[in-house]
Amino acid sequence: MKTEKIWFIFFMILVFSFSWSFVHSKPTENDQGENTITLNKIPPFRFGGPLYAPGEILVKFKPSLSEQKIESIIATYKSRKLRRIPRIDVHKLQVPEGMEVREMVSLMSQDPDVEYAEANYIVHIAVTPNDPLFIYQYALSNSGQDIGVPGSPQGKLRADIKAAEGWEETKGEEAIIIAVIDTGVDMLHPDLVGKILSGGRDFVNDDDDATDDHYHGTLVAGVAAANTDNNEGMAGVAWNCKILPIKVLDAEGEGYSDDLAEGIIWAVDNGANVINLSLGAEEGNQTIEDAVRYAYEGDVVVVAVTGNEGGSVLYPAAYDAYCLAVAGTNNVDERVTFSNSGGVWESNYGPEVDVAAPGEDILSTVPTWFWGSGSFPYAYGGGTSMAAPHVAGLAALLKSIKPWLSAGDIMDIIRFSADDVNSIENPGKDEFLGYGRISMEKALVPLIITSSK
Amino acid sequence: MEVWMKRCLYLVMILTFTLNLTFLSFAQAEIEEAGPSINLKSVLGFEFFSRTVGWKGDNENTYTSKLKSYLFTLKMDIEIQRGLFLDLLLGYSSSNYAEMTFRELPFSVELDVGGIGGYLIGGEIKKDLISKENFEIALLGRFTFCLGLKKQWDIPGLAVTGEVEGNPTWMQVVAGPVLTYQRHNRLSPYLSLSFNYLWGSFDMDETVQTLRGNEKKKFSTEALIPISLGAIYALKDSISLKGEFSVFPHKGGIEDFAFMINVVYAF
Repeated sequence: MKTEKIWFIFFMILVFSFSWSFVHSKPTENDQGENTITLNKIPPFRFGGPLYAPGEILVKFKPSLSEQKIESIIATYKSRKLRRIPRIDVHKLQVPEGMEVREMVSLMSQDPDVEYAEANYIVHIAVTPNDPLFIYQYALSNSGQDIGVPGSPQGKLRADIKAAEGWEETKGEEAIIIAVIDTGVDMLHPDLVGKILSGGRDFVNDDDDATDDHYHGTLVAGVAAANTDNNEGMAGVAWNCKILPIKVLDAEGEGYSDDLAEGIIWAVDNGANVINLSLGAEEGNQTIEDAVRYAYEGDVVVVAVTGNEGGSVLYPAAYDAYCLAVAGTNNVDERVTFSNSGGVWESNYGPEVDVAAPGEDILSTVPTWFWGSGSFPYAYGGGTSMAAPHVAGLAALLKSIKPWLSAGDIMDIIRFSADDVNSIENPGKDEFLGYGRISMEKALVPLIITSSK
Repeated sequence: MEVWMKRCLYLVMILTFTLNLTFLSFAQAEIEEAGPSINLKSVLGFEFFSRTVGWKGDNENTYTSKLKSYLFTLKMDIEIQRGLFLDLLLGYSSSNYAEMTFRELPFSVELDVGGIGGYLIGGEIKKDLISKENFEIALLGRFTFCLGLKKQWDIPGLAVTGEVEGNPTWMQVVAGPVLTYQRHNRLSPYLSLSFNYLWGSFDMDETVQTLRGNEKKKFSTEALIPISLGAIYALKDSISLKGEFSVFPHKGGIEDFAFMINVVYAF
């Protein structure tokens, strides 16, 4: 009895000690409610679905095994055969009750009699828009295709922004607005009709009709958010987001800093979430810097071009704290230089470069009057002007799926999720492509965490 | 702060329970000094469960994933009155939260990390109600709390280094009648139909350079009424074995199950 009592007291001491350690465990940084942003206010939007069929896996046994042996192996796993694909000798097996698909795959993969075991992944129509010109948009989905320009070299497989993967997660929300501050936008273009939020603002002619009288703004708008999956024309990056046209450049493609500053501020004040600036100047000025700071502080993501002269990064892209500076790549994931663009243009460089996106031979919309009445209103454009709206589209998708993120957060996500495509010559962040070519997949789709630290 | 307060609350509950139990036990011991001795048993246990848990995802849709847990427990069983048993439980668990997805972090992440360790503490109360011929009906209630250990993982594939730190906790309550057949001398099979609810949360912090985010995902089990079949086999007068298997019928069929094995030593 005495021994039993000692045991009992020892057990109680153990319980108290255990409890006491909880009371005195050090509060974490998070518990103190400081230094950490809580981001769980609004649920995100997502298109969802299972990755593989529940309760079944696909297994290929070693070819040397007899059918009887295979049957006995299946029986040892308490499984049963559901189907066999004879030509490739793959068996579909039922996962026994209480066991997970991944568990069964892992177990059978270790079996020396098994060549491979895998989940029966659900195959579905890839998120490929039905726009007929999509096949020419290597920037969104690069199958190594000839992009259509006679004599152009073939692209490199997957040298694209991984748009299809990103669209699995979101195609954007109508409430998210991309301001295209440029030469205006053709509001009658069949691939832009319905995507234009309003007549916008024309700071060149001081009116409320930002119709494009050049072509540049219409090209930019199409890349960022053309009507997509509408059986017509091309696909935009942000399928469902709206375009707010703002004209600050005239019919010659030129404008003034004051109009640009006013355009940026007007965009912020009129609900824009993202601003695309496919424009710039060699010299910076305080007015523009103040305007982009106003946007940044208003949680509006400003995406700007680095420029096409092979020189220093243009302003306002060079205002590093407030703008995402975008360089240009081509269909083989290389920075565009004079040597590989036939001496036409070269992407500017410098420490301000944040990311890159495809900017050479980019198919997009042009004003309906551009090629003449009744013509096909599309054209190939080149330059960092075409690269930036890819990034603006991604920023709009991020804002759609995670509206609580700040402009700075979205800029960082775009930077840190980039593919370091020039890592052999310039590993890490460099002054040519910044962190690399953007990846919609890594920015939007959940990353699988597998390893411990 | 909220997390810390909740932990304190749980702690107070557990301490109160423990203190009550301690006083009851000593009181019982004093009372019985003149009579029969206190009935003590220690129980070494292993348990496994695979439960479907639901959690809110995007647009308030409910998503499901599996929570699988291995539990290693040490229990002290005290008969404080005739037919009234109290258990205290301590232990360690390894819980797998595969496919749980966190989309409210700056970079969305999905877990595929294997087991995460955690400390277990809990208690059980059992009261014999009716005993007729070879059958005995008792009422059982059990509470288990698992305080998961914080764990860090690297985020793969980014242009910069980043990590997430996860801290899961879960609780389980079980309550229901147990019908035991006691005709045989050494073997006592039993059947139980109970309410078994498991709920918890997974607190995830993300740090990627200057980016920081936190998401607390609450989850709970969908199947709540298991049917359990078990047996107690007395190896010797002081040592017995207890085994139990439970299935959790649900609208999608029987996907959830649990089993446990206990070695009981009576002092």
